[in-house]
Amino acid sequence: MLYALAAIFIIILTLFLRFIMGVDSRTLVTLYLLGFIIFLLSFTVAEMPTFGSLDNPAFNEVPRRYLEQGVEETGAVNIISSVIIDYRAFDTLGEATVLFVAIAAVVATLRSH
Amino acid sequence: MEDQITRITSRLVVPFIQVYGIYIILHGHLSPGGSFSGGAIFGASLVLVALSFNLEAGSKQIPHNAASVLESGGALGYLITGLVAIALGGYYLSNKAAGFPMGEAGSLFSAGAIFIITLFVGIKVASTIATLFYYIIEGEK
Repeated sequence: MLYALAAIFIIILTLFLRFIMGVDSRTLVTLYLLGFIIFLLSFTVAEMPTFGSLDNPAFNEVPRRYLEQGVEETGAVNIISSVIIDYRAFDTLGEATVLFVAIAAVVATLRSH
Repeated sequence: MEDQITRITSRLVVPFIQVYGIYIILHGHLSPGGSFSGGAIFGASLVLVALSFNLEAGSKQIPHNAASVLESGGALGYLITGLVAIALGGYYLSNKAAGFPMGEAGSLFSAGAIFIITLFVGIKVASTIATLFYYIIEGEK
């Protein structure tokens, strides 16, 4: 019943846009594609777990270990700092390398002119 | 561009911005912020100097040679801190396992390798922002 109503609505909307508003068919296809993408994305957002909830799949033993033993294991009071520079220091090294390569590329490009 | 109001205001404000940037870098293991944000603030103060005075005054603050030395030095310092951890008997980039001096949690000189690496990355990010800005501005001349 709901699907039939939705189909009738879409058909009427298409006819209205095409013949009364004078939208050409190329723009119509683009509009429907965009609408479909918006529908998919909002559906995904609606199905996501609540922010900060205890039953989140991301809240497992790893952040619990960081929160409970981070200060003792790294000596840093700032948990974020202890994660990015101690537990995930290799990742931050890659980040610094990206920065280094970017500045090297800019200097190499601009100095040659 | 030479304007008296921006020049005098930036002369007043720049020292405070630089102290704030250094504060954020040094307190990276204690308070929100850290190497990337503190370095960005410090670099922004150098950009402000170049914008409110002229390019020569800014370039005098951080000459190109010093900029490239600081740039590579920051990255090298990070790598060498990781290697020192191996030499001290831990794995690469380890902190407590390698036996860096940990200090008392919550004091300024604590957290061993985190403090050192934050300092190096802060220097690197600040010089990256300043160098990027100066090179792009000079390219337009």
